[in-house]
Amino acid sequence: MTKETFLHDKHIALGAKMVDFAGWHMPVQYTTIVEEHNTVREAVGLFDVSHMGEVFVSGKESLAFLQSIVPQDISKLEYEKAVYCQLPNKKGGLIDDLIIYKIGINSYLIICNASRIDEDVNWMSLNSNGYDVKIDNQSHNYSLLAVQGPKADELLRTMGLSTHQDSFTIKPAKILDYNILVSRTGYTGEDGYELLVENNIAPALWDKVLEYGKPFGIKPIGLGARDTLRLEAALHLYGNDLDEDTTPVEAGLSWSLAKDKKEDYNGKEVIMAQLANGGNKKLVGIKMLDKNIARHGYEVYFNGEKVGIVTSGCISPVLGCNIALAYVKNISDISTGSVVQVMIREKLHDAEVVKKPFINKRNKIRN
Amino acid sequence: MSITEKILCTKTHEYILKNDDGTYTVGLTDYAVEQLGDIVFLELPESGTTFAKGDSFAAIESVKAASEIYMPISGEITDVNTALVESPETLNEDVYEKGWLVKINPTGDASEQDDLLEYSDYKEEVE
Repeated sequence: MTKETFLHDKHIALGAKMVDFAGWHMPVQYTTIVEEHNTVREAVGLFDVSHMGEVFVSGKESLAFLQSIVPQDISKLEYEKAVYCQLPNKKGGLIDDLIIYKIGINSYLIICNASRIDEDVNWMSLNSNGYDVKIDNQSHNYSLLAVQGPKADELLRTMGLSTHQDSFTIKPAKILDYNILVSRTGYTGEDGYELLVENNIAPALWDKVLEYGKPFGIKPIGLGARDTLRLEAALHLYGNDLDEDTTPVEAGLSWSLAKDKKEDYNGKEVIMAQLANGGNKKLVGIKMLDKNIARHGYEVYFNGEKVGIVTSGCISPVLGCNIALAYVKNISDISTGSVVQVMIREKLHDAEVVKKPFINKRNKIRN
Repeated sequence: MSITEKILCTKTHEYILKNDDGTYTVGLTDYAVEQLGDIVFLELPESGTTFAKGDSFAAIESVKAASEIYMPISGEITDVNTALVESPETLNEDVYEKGWLVKINPTGDASEQDDLLEYSDYKEEVE
């Protein structure tokens, strides 16, 4: 049975094309993916991401518990701040990637991928033995609206958001008459906010954001543009670019790892060894040199030898070319500027290895 | 008679339109293109190539996904819409006049068209 968010009726009324995603009936686009993509890059867009999971972790030993399950150092996480984390298995492969927020003394909020809520909660429960900790999956009680784009901040100001919030912070706020947990985070490579509310508030808040957003050129944005936006920003999508056989080092997430964390955590041995010596594979950004698009699952070749596989690929509306993320053998010969080939419909097509992210935060073209 | 009353469609969303000179124009239905969304890439075969009914003869990509396009009937390619390869986004506006894909000389039996659907039946089938 496919699930519906509390905004499902809104999507239908707006004429969205709907698809099944991770067990949810979600909007893939309202107008066109490219138009929605550009709206977020140039103005502001509104996303329903209520399918994502919200898991609250609390209790006297919640810090010790979190330290034992993520490779980041949660002891350094300050009140009302957020940190990007991964949830590795014993071999260092990833069960999920998450954002952890500290929302109180011994109280944390974890936002995780819709497709992985059950796996995450099971894994956390399994690992919580011996810890005085409560793992409370509240995903079904919360809706999440993302307001993303260069005009997101100004829009929320006109709606009554009064205090300044740095990137990667979370604060309870009253916007109009609604009690909202406001997080300055997102998944688009743009500035923006994510608004966590109780389900019953979501439909009214959705309408208000669209109403107040009108002068800013706001549009509702579907999962299609969410994918092209995150890929231009080289943000990983679990299930495509991350899985249980891929470590954070291989995924190019070494920047996010605690290098000197004392506590043991799942997969630490593998992850620390790879941090020192490199992984078996590495994630690279590639730019197609012709009009073909490298899609998930396509093979990558270098000097006539199969060296890897594409995990995500799409057109880049900002760059006007086709981009992809691919895992390749961890050899130094394949680096920025190298030309590799992607097998597309039984033919090899040239692609250049480029720096990630494909575009930088201020919309300026990097490559 | 509107164009959709003259075409025959496959369940895989291609159409054929019989021309006065005995050739057939092959294209994708408006429904197919609407489902694909923004079309960004099109690959067509060269004139002179022959394909059997059901063969993949072309490839199309939207922002969302890549798809193959299949021959509704057997035939030899006699003409290719090269302008469309240059600007595949035209398909999002018009699949019948400017957005046709190839023209073919049929090489198979007339019975190959038995399983093709009239547009109205096709629409009922896919919607």
